[in-house]
Parts: sequence; C-alpha cells; structure tokens
Amino acid sequence: MEIKINNLKKTFGEKVAVDIEQFEIKSGEILGLVGNNGAGKSTLFRLILDLIKADSGTVFNGDVNVTETEDWKQWTGSYIDDSFVIDYLTPDEYLQFIARITGITDDQLKDALKKYEHFMAGEIMGQKKLIRNLSAGNKQKVGIVAAMLLQPKLLILDEPFNFLDPSSQNAIKRLLVEYNKETGATILVSSHNLNHTVDICPRIALLENGRIIRDIDNTDKSAEKELENYFEINQ
Amino acid sequence: MNISKRKLSKMLSEHEELKAKRHPMFERNRFVKFLAYFMVAYYSAILLFMGVMLPMPMSHTYHGVAAFHVLDGWFFIIIMIDFWLRFILQDTPVNQTRPYSLLPISRKFLMRRYLINAGLSWGNLYWAFFLVPFAFLSVFRSMSLGATAGWLIGWWLLIVLNSYFYLLIRSLCTRNIAWAMLPFILHAAIICIATIPEHNVLDMPCTNFMYGFAKLQPVCFIAVIAAILLMVKLNEKVQGIILYDEIGKKEETEVKNASQISWFNRFGIVGEYLKLEVKVRMRCRTLKMQFLVLIGCMLLLSGLLYFTDIYDNMFMKSFICLYDYIVPGMSTLITIMCYEGNYMDLLMSRKESIRDMLAAKYYFNSALLLIPFCLLIPLVVIGKITIWMNLGYLFFTVGVLYPMMFQMSAYNKETLPLNAKLTGKQGNGAQNMVSIAVMFVPIFIERASVTLLGDPWGYILLITLGLTGIVTHQRWINFTYKRFMQRRYTNMEGFRATRK
Repeated sequence: MEIKINNLKKTFGEKVAVDIEQFEIKSGEILGLVGNNGAGKSTLFRLILDLIKADSGTVFNGDVNVTETEDWKQWTGSYIDDSFVIDYLTPDEYLQFIARITGITDDQLKDALKKYEHFMAGEIMGQKKLIRNLSAGNKQKVGIVAAMLLQPKLLILDEPFNFLDPSSQNAIKRLLVEYNKETGATILVSSHNLNHTVDICPRIALLENGRIIRDIDNTDKSAEKELENYFEINQ
Repeated sequence: MNISKRKLSKMLSEHEELKAKRHPMFERNRFVKFLAYFMVAYYSAILLFMGVMLPMPMSHTYHGVAAFHVLDGWFFIIIMIDFWLRFILQDTPVNQTRPYSLLPISRKFLMRRYLINAGLSWGNLYWAFFLVPFAFLSVFRSMSLGATAGWLIGWWLLIVLNSYFYLLIRSLCTRNIAWAMLPFILHAAIICIATIPEHNVLDMPCTNFMYGFAKLQPVCFIAVIAAILLMVKLNEKVQGIILYDEIGKKEETEVKNASQISWFNRFGIVGEYLKLEVKVRMRCRTLKMQFLVLIGCMLLLSGLLYFTDIYDNMFMKSFICLYDYIVPGMSTLITIMCYEGNYMDLLMSRKESIRDMLAAKYYFNSALLLIPFCLLIPLVVIGKITIWMNLGYLFFTVGVLYPMMFQMSAYNKETLPLNAKLTGKQGNGAQNMVSIAVMFVPIFIERASVTLLGDPWGYILLITLGLTGIVTHQRWINFTYKRFMQRRYTNMEGFRATRK
C-alpha cells in the first residue's frame, strides 16, 4: 500500500515533532526509520495511524486520507507500544479476539499462527498467563503477531527489536522479509538498531528534529557507513 | 549518605508538593483544580456549620447534659467515618517510599519520615472545622480554656491514632484483601454493642475517657500517646516487610479463569466485546471490587426496603428503588471508556471498534439491571411497590438514563488504572458532578410524572420513554460514536497523558 505525506507538520509547544514537506513510500517497500530519541519517529507513525492530530498537512494511506474515513484500518496492522494490547487477556484470548473482530475464523487463525511458532518460541501460546504477566519481550511478540495476523497491506512497527532476545530479533527480521516477499505489503519499521535496519530495509529514512534529512537507498546494503557516520559510531 | 537528613527531608517534601501540583488531572484541567478546592471548602463549611449548630440542640435533647459529653459518648462514630474516608483520600507510605527504595537512602529513615509526616499531616486536623466551634460552644462554656484545649488535643491524638491504624490495615490489605474485614468487624461490633441494648452501653466509658482530656488527666494523654507509639512501631515493621514484598513482587501468573465464554459467540463482534466486559471484571482488581461493591449496594438497598419500614414513605421508596437501578450505571458508565484508555490505541486502530464496544457496554449494563429488577420483585409480592413501578424504573434506566450516561464516552479522556489497589482515586470533578445529577434528576422526573398522571399511568409514561430509547439504541449509539470520533484527538491525548 502506498503512503503519501504532504506538508505534514506537528508541534508540541515550541518543539517541532514532525515537519515533512513531501514523502512517498511505494507499495511493497520496506522502509526503515532511524533517528535519535525525540527525532519524531513514533510521532510520525502516530500521525500515519491517525492517533494524533496534525497541525497541518495530509497522510494518504492508498487513496484514503487517514483523517477522513476509517477504511484504511482494514488493511493496516500496527504495533507501537503496550497500549496496542489488552493486558488482562491471555495471548490466546487476545489473538482470538483480534482474529474474530477482523473476520478471521478459528481455523484460519490456527493456520496463521503456525507461521509464528518459531518466533513465539513456545513461551506464549497455551501458557494460561495474562499478557500483563508476560516479560516485555513476549508482550512485544504478542503485539507484533496481532498486527500481522490480519495480513495487512501496510504494517507499521515501532522499535520491533526492543526487548527481544537475539534469536527472536533474527526471527522477526526473517518474518518481516518473508512477509514482504509473500504479500507485497508495505512495511514501516523504526529502530535504533542500525544493523538490523540495514539488513532488512532497502530504503532508510533518517529523521532529525521531525525532518527527514536523508532518504538513503540501501538496496545494496550500503547505508551502514553513512548511518555510522551520522550517529558517530566508532569515532 | 552524603546529604544531611534535614536537607534530604526537605527535598522529599518538595517532591511530595510537586507530585500533588503536577498531577496530570490538575495540570490539564483548571476546572477540576477549582472543583477540588471548592469541594474542600464546601465540606469544611458544612463541618463548621455543624460545629456551630449542633451543641445547643444536643444539649437540649439530653436534658441539659453538656453537648460535648453527648458527642463523647458517640465519639467512635466520628473515628469510624474518619477511618473509612481515608481509603479514598490517603496514600500508604509504601507507595510513597517505593521510588526511593533503590537509592542510597536508608529505608528506615524514609519509612519513619513518612510515618511521622502521616501523623502530623494537616489532614488530621480537618475535623477541627467541626470540633473547634463545637468545643468553644460546649466545653469552654461549661469548663475553661485549658479544658477546651485539652479536649481538642485529645481528639487530635485519637484521629492521629486512627490514621496509623488505617495505614496499618491499608498496608496489610496489599498482602491480603481479607484484612479489610478486621476494621469492618471491629466497627460493626462496636456499633452493635452501642445500639442493640436499649441504652448505649459505651456511652459512660467513652464519655469518662474523653472527659479525662478536658480535665487534663495525664493518664488519658499517656494512654493515647502510648497507643500511637505502638501503632507507629507496628506500622514500621509491617511497612518494612511490605516494601520488600512490593519491590520483589512476583504476581501469581497462572490465570485460573481462562474460560472461552463461548455463549457470547452468537453475538458476533459485539459478543467479543461482551466477553471483554466480563473478563475485565473477573481479572482486574479495580473493576472486580467495583462490581462486588455494586452487588452489595443493590442487596443493601433492596433489603432496606424489604426488611424495615423506616423508608416506607412514597418519596423514599421511589428514591431507593430508583437508586437501586441507577447504581450500576453510576459506577460503570460515568467513567465509561476510562478503563479502555489503557488500550485505546488498539481500539482506535480497528475500524469502528469503538461503536461495537459501546453497543456491548449497553447490552451488558442493561442485562445487569435484571439484578435490581429481581431483587425488587419480593417488594412487589409484599405490596410495598407495584410491578408498574418496578418495570417503569427498569425501562426508564435502560432507555433514558443510559443514553444520557453514554454521552460521557465522548467526553471522558482520563485513563483509570485497571488494577488500582482497593479504592484508588477515581473519577474527576466533572464525573462527580454528573454522578450527582444522575442521582437526583431522575427522581424529580419520576415524581413529576407520577404526581401528574398517578399510578400506573406515570410509570407507563416512564416505560414508554424507556422503550423509545431502547428501540432507537442503534441510532443514539451511532451518534455517540460519531461524537467520540469528532473528539478523538483531544481524548486520545488525554488518555495517553494519564496512562501509567
């Protein structure tokens, strides 16, 4: 699904959180969003998901202006933080809830979950634990699986590698790349982990003070050097 | 510790001030701040008024006995009210010391400091609004200024003792809620001992004890101060243990009630949200408690009318029966969406999920009203109320009051914790105002309707009005949903800012 951003601006008091004149993400792209804390990554995601009001500008998800209808929610999956999960349910109940409200049958759910068995590492499903009692990493896994369950054409994940152990980080990387290949979905991922971002994202946008200061082509995985220079790694 | 205890104590006091000043509810809403101050002033004025007005009639009723003796004979009532009010208003030292527990500050020092502050708190002087004028119009008139001061200091010491007893119980409740039964049983026993015999048998010992303060008898002061010191020591011990418990807390992680509640599947997507309504009440402490209190309240109100004849006049009967129906809505719908604020981003990222949720809430809360309906049937059988009245209230609540209360979903924007301990601070000023309106406006509509049209036509009118709301529920839920969506940015910002 194509995303078009036009003259998008959001400020919190004096601080400019997002200020993007024109930005386009093509259908089927995996875009990595990097930047220091407070650069505006999460705010941009929230604007794309219509969770906060822009001071000006528009975001188009496909042909739909996200502020005007809710149609885009049918093809968009997202996980930003804890507020995307209902923590008094067990993971089984929660995923079943998400499946049912999005019209996925129990059999389809069972099949769909098979893909995530390796990622969930046998620590989530069938545990009779409430989500609030899971570790931060496992909670994050539940949120990510729920976001992908709907087979969205647009998938938005904010810091998906956070809290995950190295095996799970690799598992989610593989999952995202395969998912993109299989479905042609657009994937937006923000992360502070440059290696992972470079590994899976053919295109990387670097944010600073709400502005996209560099739009890096990473098809040949050459962005690492540029990003390391920017973030003053090894200096 | 490199910093002196005095400096540290000052710094901690500053933190406490900032905590109160920067509470998200106050920071964002000047009206709530104003309302909070107004309510304090309002209740102070009421206490002051009572303190001035009561001595004379009390003395008169008891054939010239000085009013303070009369009050002293029942002093435990004030102590009990003070105790239970603290559950709403007072935090525990454990909650206050936890943020500092991993810093290089002696935990003993922190605990002692907070315990001393709890005793010396201005809150323990709140009853002075009542007691000071009362003392001057009663103790001072029959004794002396010294006696007045002694009597007042005695009262203050008792309130301080009560505050430590509360802290002890409140802290023990964090380990096991059953500890709340201890003061409940104790207070119930005292009330029974005082009220069941023809004369208050506690009158004489209580009066003599309190008189000791007025007569400045050291033994009375020493006894209470000793009890306070004992309570402080006990608190220190218990709070210390609980602080360790809290820091290393491991919640029981296996869920016992992982039922599918598959009966709700027949309702499709709305059924899924109905399951949430049930599960949130089974698994989240705040709502579980709220639900139990609600059931208790409904049983109490119905029982009051069934077993006694003290409220047998028409107005009180109507008020209590109607209140029986209003209580569920008041406890759950005034704060509608506030608990969902915890996972609002999820709801907002699914198409029309808020509308389905509102519908589920309407069905759930309407079904809940079958409880008061059934509880009031025995009253119909014994002829205290008519079936028309019972039906009238049921339909009026479901079809008229609920649509009104549901409008709060478009305006509530404060996330409430799902697992607050016991009675956390819940509801803001605006919600409290709506609660008051919901409590009193319906009774006037009901009385006007029945007075004008008589029984049963007044109730038939209520049923008709209710049916209109029920038949059109899809439309007004849609309207409410649209209103919510119009205000979504403001509300989402509020939910996010108050989420913990």
